[in-house]
Amino acid sequence: MSSGSTKRLTLAWLALSAITIAQLGVRSLDGRREFAPDVGIASLAIAIALVKVRIIFREFMEVRRSPRLLRRLTDLWLVLTGAMLLGSYFVGLAFSTG
Amino acid sequence: MWAFVLFESVVFAGYFTVYVVRRTHSPEIFLRSQAKLSLAVGVFNTLVLLASSWSAARCVQAARERSYSPALTHAFLTLFFGSVFLVSKVLEWSAEIHQGLGFTTNEFFSFYYFLTGIHFLHLLIGFVALGVVVHQLWSPGRRSQVLIETGATYWHTIDYLWVMIFALLYVMR
Repeated sequence: MSSGSTKRLTLAWLALSAITIAQLGVRSLDGRREFAPDVGIASLAIAIALVKVRIIFREFMEVRRSPRLLRRLTDLWLVLTGAMLLGSYFVGLAFSTG
Repeated sequence: MWAFVLFESVVFAGYFTVYVVRRTHSPEIFLRSQAKLSLAVGVFNTLVLLASSWSAARCVQAARERSYSPALTHAFLTLFFGSVFLVSKVLEWSAEIHQGLGFTTNEFFSFYYFLTGIHFLHLLIGFVALGVVVHQLWSPGRRSQVLIETGATYWHTIDYLWVMIFALLYVMR
């Protein structure tokens, strides 16, 4: 087994695990506004999830070494999903408060 | 398999969007309900699925280099981590149901059981895919690299869908 690609895979896994463990800190960010929407935490949660998914795509699913079309399509899906989720969140908040 | 991944991604993106829209309509109910979930259990389940994806990727690498014995070991490791996730999720559901938090408790818990339930169904199908991978690796007469990689791709799909579900149900505010 190529030690370089194995090492890269393990580094990707360690990075994903470290980011996930860091997400435990979200409760400490809540403060006194625990039961009110928090735009910062919501945006960060979605952004971090999309970064993690991109690492899974590129490293575990080997998109990094796939044809350019697949690389572009997976990145496009991430951008569209992020825009859709954040857009829904902000538009929804604007309508519910306004 | 990538057509299937695209299909699943589009379907789940639809579910996620509806969930996000609904939670902005009743933020307090969603946030109070979300606080009843264990973030630590969510993190544990995510770590276990990430480990399963790592071993599935190692399995593919080993099979590609015709190191079939390590590939089989990694396939079994993936099955093990998948089983840990399955048991952990069932225990988490049981604890929540014992607290009186069921599908009909409120809108948040309807989404929670729907999203985690449909993901669980995909996980069960993933065990079949991993069974095919083990079957391929077991006998020198088979060992189709295409089937092994297809099974692993399906498993990674389960993993990244969970990463999104975890962010939306457990972390988002």
